[in-house]
Amino acid sequence: MNAPLMRLDGVSKRYPPTVRSGERMRAFWQLLWRGQAQGGTSVLEDVSFDIIPGESLGIIGSNGAGKSTLLKVITGVLEPTRGEIQKRGSVAALLELGAGFDPEYTGFDNLRMNAAFLGLSRAQVEERLDDILSFADIGDSIHEPVKHYSSGMVVRLGFAVVASVRPDLLITDEVLAVGDESFQKKCIRWIEGYLADGGTMMMVSHNMYQVQKLCRHALWLEAGRVARYGDVFDVTQSYLAWHERKHARQESPAHGRNENAPYRIDRMVLSPANDGSTVVAMGGRLDVRLELSSPDERPPVAVVGVVRADGTPIYGVGTDHDGVEPVEIAPGRYAIEISFSDLPLLPGGYAARAHALDSEGLRMHDTVEETFTVTGKTREVGLVRLKHEWRRP
Amino acid sequence: MPEHARQLLSRLIAREVRSRFQGSASGWIWLILNPLLLLAVYSFVFGVIFKARVPPGLEMPFVAWLAVALWPWLMFSEGVLRGAQAIRDHAALISKVAMPREMLVLASVSAVFILHLTGYAAVIAVLAAIGVDLNWPGLPLLLLSLSTLFVLTVGLALALSAIQVYVRDLEQALPTVFMFWFFLTPILYAPSLLPDEYAAWLDWNPMTWWMTEIRSALLYNQILPGWPFLALLAGSLLMLWLGRIVFSRLSPYFEDFL
Repeated sequence: MNAPLMRLDGVSKRYPPTVRSGERMRAFWQLLWRGQAQGGTSVLEDVSFDIIPGESLGIIGSNGAGKSTLLKVITGVLEPTRGEIQKRGSVAALLELGAGFDPEYTGFDNLRMNAAFLGLSRAQVEERLDDILSFADIGDSIHEPVKHYSSGMVVRLGFAVVASVRPDLLITDEVLAVGDESFQKKCIRWIEGYLADGGTMMMVSHNMYQVQKLCRHALWLEAGRVARYGDVFDVTQSYLAWHERKHARQESPAHGRNENAPYRIDRMVLSPANDGSTVVAMGGRLDVRLELSSPDERPPVAVVGVVRADGTPIYGVGTDHDGVEPVEIAPGRYAIEISFSDLPLLPGGYAARAHALDSEGLRMHDTVEETFTVTGKTREVGLVRLKHEWRRP
Repeated sequence: MPEHARQLLSRLIAREVRSRFQGSASGWIWLILNPLLLLAVYSFVFGVIFKARVPPGLEMPFVAWLAVALWPWLMFSEGVLRGAQAIRDHAALISKVAMPREMLVLASVSAVFILHLTGYAAVIAVLAAIGVDLNWPGLPLLLLSLSTLFVLTVGLALALSAIQVYVRDLEQALPTVFMFWFFLTPILYAPSLLPDEYAAWLDWNPMTWWMTEIRSALLYNQILPGWPFLALLAGSLLMLWLGRIVFSRLSPYFEDFL
């Protein structure tokens, strides 16, 4: 395989305290004498990964997770506090809102300046000027100062300059969200062409669909650390699942767990288990084993179902619906197993939910939930795959 | 300097120069007019009211004596003040674009020097036209002295621009410091006109050396650089070296403090 275009090794970034003038002065002396400042807030912690040529990497994460800081460290705008970045002589172009434009100058001025930053010579700029202007397609506004531009126009111009440079590494920070529909399409077409020609890209986006469409790998940053890195589908799905769970926790913190209920669920085990978390491939098999207690000699009724990570029920079934009874494994203790095969759930985060009911199946006494993740490579949307066939009439 | 950096620098300078003209209908007129008015005020106040004299042995109007040193001072003081501001002024750029940041300071100082050199050339031409006896063979020495002044200015501006990111007070203090410095430098007066006990102190001010060298080249008959010039060269290179050290220590963290 090719040598990496860039290698990040244990990169950390702390922003020193800068609000009070005393803190600024202290940081100033420390930097001047020792080349390092102490204290501050940590934004990135120990981030390591490689960018190989031809890679397309999506960076995802909640707001404030450190995505933009990571991009700045990669482009060299920011110096990491600790760790190392090895670059192999390449042009890395960062594209973000405002992309280094000076609002006081005209679009034309900024275009030339930006091209110079990206390493184009005067002659090269003149040569490519027509291409840039037609890609940006902002008409006579090019002679207006950038402060009069809409954010869409700024991005158009920025993208047009970068497109004319064809950098070795293209880094985009949420730019596609700004342009209008037709410009977004143009950009995505250009990026696809760029990637097909062997270009390397990193993009920050909150649009998982876009990330899945354009990237092969993804990096999930959470609170400055790499939460997950790998195949784009795995990472984006677990990211979305995490979000749904977080959302669900906020919505309904308690789940009707009842330690003193007469009919109780003592244990719920999902398999296949995978270091503490259950991961099932789409179309695979999920097994659930329940152990329940009953205060009398009669076995309780168990209901097992699947809910989406935010708590929306998808399917549920009780032992009494199907006429089965948990078996007694010890006095007052019962067990039952159920398996869902050919799991039609689409990739994402889910939970298996079990209820213990009295032996008549009239009252719900106890509820237990265990989360699991369904993985798979698909861009279908929704919760389950419905049987379907396309026809061309 | 690699080709790419050179092109970037020339573009930055061009933009800096152009920005001085932009927006005002007659920007270039002000550029000439301001120093000329300053010259007029100083020569009126000092030459006419206070009857300041040129040092003995020189046959020329006071205004010529003053103008020869005033423009180099303007290059120096405005160069340092603008250069020191360069990083703060380009905060938006610095937080977005990875670039050699000292370029911004260098471009800022260069633009000031280019503009004032033009004015200086015009003033010298006018002085020659009104019959002031200038030492033309000293011109190369004058240019050499101005080059060392440029190096000094860049060094000082680099250090101050980096420090100013952290210590905002500098922005307020610098113009005042430079005003004091102006009066403590023999620009409006000749060191030889001061009582001896004060004149000795003037040698502690590096700008005295530059002004003396510049006047020697243009007004007296000095042609070849002597040891004072070597001192200027050494001093300016030392300042550049110091400025670069301070700048390179502080510049990786600009973005955190801007």
